[in-house]
Amino acid sequence: MASPDGKHRRSGTNGEAKPPDSKKLKLSALITDEEIQSEFSHHDASVARINNGSFGSCPQSVISAQQRWQLRFLRQPDSFYVNDLKPGVLESREAIRSIINADDVSEVSIVDNATTAAAIVLQQMAWAFAEGRFEKGDVAVMLHYAYGAVKKSMEAYVTRAGGRVVEVQLPFPVKSNEEIITEFKLALERGKLKGQRIRLAVIDHVTSMPSVVIPVKELVKICREEGVDQVFVDAAHGIGCVDVDMKEIGADFYASNLHKWFFCPPSAAFLYCRKSAKFSDLHHPVVSHEYGNGLAIESTWIGTRDYSSQLVVPSVVEFVNRFRGGIEGIKKRNHEVVVRMGKMLAESWGTSLGCPPDMCSSMIMVGLPSCLGIMSERDTLKLRTHLRDCFRVEVPIYYRAPKEGEIDPVTGYARISHQVYNKPEDYERFRDAIKKLVGDNFTCASLSA
Amino acid sequence: MNGGDDTRNLGAAHRNGNNHHHSAKRPKISLPISESEIREEFSHHEEGVARINNGSFGSCPASVQSAQKNWQLRFLRQPDDFYHNTLSEGVLHSRTIIKGLINADDVEEISLVDNATTAAAIVLQQVGRGFAESRFNPGDSVVMLHCAFQAVKKSIQAYVTRAGGSVVEVELPFPVTSKEEVIDAFRLGLRRGKQDGKTYRLAIIDHITSMPSVVLPVKDLVSICREEGVERVFVDAAHAIGSVKIDVKEIGAEFYVSNLHKWFFCPPSVAFLYCKKFELSKDMRHPVASQEHGNDLPVGNAWTGTRDYSSQLVVHSAMEFVERFEGGLEGIMARNQRDVVEMGKMLADSWGTNLGCPPEMCASMVMVGLPSRLLITSGDDALRLRSYLRVNYGVEVPIHYQAQAQAQSQREEGDGPRDKDGGRITGYARISHQVYNVADDYYKFRDAINELLKKEFTCRMIFTE
Repeated sequence: MASPDGKHRRSGTNGEAKPPDSKKLKLSALITDEEIQSEFSHHDASVARINNGSFGSCPQSVISAQQRWQLRFLRQPDSFYVNDLKPGVLESREAIRSIINADDVSEVSIVDNATTAAAIVLQQMAWAFAEGRFEKGDVAVMLHYAYGAVKKSMEAYVTRAGGRVVEVQLPFPVKSNEEIITEFKLALERGKLKGQRIRLAVIDHVTSMPSVVIPVKELVKICREEGVDQVFVDAAHGIGCVDVDMKEIGADFYASNLHKWFFCPPSAAFLYCRKSAKFSDLHHPVVSHEYGNGLAIESTWIGTRDYSSQLVVPSVVEFVNRFRGGIEGIKKRNHEVVVRMGKMLAESWGTSLGCPPDMCSSMIMVGLPSCLGIMSERDTLKLRTHLRDCFRVEVPIYYRAPKEGEIDPVTGYARISHQVYNKPEDYERFRDAIKKLVGDNFTCASLSA
Repeated sequence: MNGGDDTRNLGAAHRNGNNHHHSAKRPKISLPISESEIREEFSHHEEGVARINNGSFGSCPASVQSAQKNWQLRFLRQPDDFYHNTLSEGVLHSRTIIKGLINADDVEEISLVDNATTAAAIVLQQVGRGFAESRFNPGDSVVMLHCAFQAVKKSIQAYVTRAGGSVVEVELPFPVTSKEEVIDAFRLGLRRGKQDGKTYRLAIIDHITSMPSVVLPVKDLVSICREEGVERVFVDAAHAIGSVKIDVKEIGAEFYVSNLHKWFFCPPSVAFLYCKKFELSKDMRHPVASQEHGNDLPVGNAWTGTRDYSSQLVVHSAMEFVERFEGGLEGIMARNQRDVVEMGKMLADSWGTNLGCPPEMCASMVMVGLPSRLLITSGDDALRLRSYLRVNYGVEVPIHYQAQAQAQSQREEGDGPRDKDGGRITGYARISHQVYNVADDYYKFRDAINELLKKEFTCRMIFTE
């Protein structure tokens, strides 16, 4: 029975944000290969998992930290809500702020994923049109290779509200940053053709399919020079994949998933909003009693939810710091290895890479032999399923429509990835699978619908 | 090679949701569930806490948590495979179960969302678009209850008021003695709020109000809405599933949402949003547009970017849990009502206070008047008293501050109920009963208040940190 004068608090619910177990002895030794394999032992061992880009990955120690948070909520949810949630999220936000070189933690909100972040940024556009701050026909610019969900968001919040969307045509395969910069400038010109303002540019940091690192810093500069009101960098593949220095990049908004390349469980992402950004009346689309207290605070409570994936960022920081060079080291090594593996595959198949090494991150596009007969996006899905089911290789495939006049075009590219759990065997298995298909005179046409 | 095979066979998958259980064979479960098994299922609840606030955050038994972990693991193990082969079928299965529980015509009418707060955003965003796109006239209104949940009120502000719509608030009496009181007040409020040339575009009515908590005669209220020309009705039934029987066809509203993590044993968080078929125009969208955007709402809701969807996938595990009880869900609901009313009366008797409504207007929660001597004079007092009880007595219970009731629905006496000391009752505790509760939980609360009274404690004495 509790005594009236005593505090009825248990250890672990005393408002301290970190779950108790995470205060292990400081590990001075670097993580070993064995330990890495152990951390990812929950992965299906029979699968060559070279698609970290789609859904990311999460090590066991972070999963355990997440479960401790979940249990704390279930144990006494009212107390959790009152004492633990906000400080925990603040600690995560502060950890992110530090990594991304943002000035102030109020600039950092945690949301579910980049898709949600896009909805937040674009929703304010819809209001601006509705409330007459933007004129009908004002423009939003995005890349042709923008993620499907972002395109849909543009439709929902910009086109539907009366705005005009201009797409930047990007070449693929691509040979240099200059190609991208040129196309971008052309798109801005198209945007200004009718004398309207360009209200927003949405630029991927790393496009999804096909995957290429976009020179965002240069493009942001161009946007400023050309009088674009706001720039939103969609960096779903951001933290842990490319350099994420907010001040260097200079965008108004920047969103990155944490579950793709930063080892968080599904799902969590951060949305950075520069304090000085124009028109920054951003709101989370799910409105709670925190409405009006700023996006970061609104995002901390969107109704009863499991917020545990947002709370484990400090545990993730501990994890990555077990690697040489921390997250920077991981990023660097991922890049080096994926380039090496990509070259190995291209050489083995007699194909080529989709972009030069310095335009890729921890993913790279590798051309597939044209004899496989990849003639459509449907074919890529069928081939991908075939590789998953029959060869236990998990890798997304991109269909690149041939241009007129191209001879023997490469129409299929595999997007291979490298993350800390990968081994050379993963890529060798893929190499051999394709070689076998080629040897068997396999074509996509032979696959049933 | 079991990864791929298992995940492609939905039959095996949903029947053997626990096929990664540590115990390879399922232990023979004897029905009905025993007291000790119930304690076991909720052994993760903090000991020493009288947990009589199931209404706020709900509860989730260990076996459902276990099922959830299995789903989470399957995703982490091979997420692409999970996404392509498992997820949508799993969600469809959950939706089908719910359709059966609420008597909906078609599974297309059921979407799964995170919680009622999200559902409110979906419906209100759509109303907001009506104003923005001039299909509604400025000044057309949305009707809500005075005691509507705060998130819903803010959502109305964010999406309706901002877009040029106006808001009519209807105050319902509390304490209340009959459903007729509620019906009369609602009708009166709707009529008063009518303005020439303006249309009621939407009414938002709770099925079970949050604070103060009362089960409303929602079917009657929907009829009144029709009589008074309200275009569409959205029932916010956050507490309903697992508390009261739900028949959406009988109730007749266009939209109906209820949380499954409150009273239906699902983990945080999952709710269903029911939309009458003809409402399912392409215009009902989840505010987070995804690749599925533009397809019908249930599909749009199924994928809102990479997320942990595991709480949506354990509905059948929650059903299995519920069916271990005598009488299944209906048995649980009946006993929760019986026990919470009994405990409510016990407390009211001990403190010389009242209940906020008659037993037939309660489900698994009841408002119990707190002694006037505690001097609860504001919402802040209520919050601080709640914290005080949590910290010093290990009692978790939400407190409601009831300002003097409005004249329109008052009894002749005119100034609200009084306790045995003759003081006005201004505070009510919302006690709940769920399967894990025991009588001691309520005795602990009773004794805590009695001790405070003995010490002549008042809310004035609580200092916030």
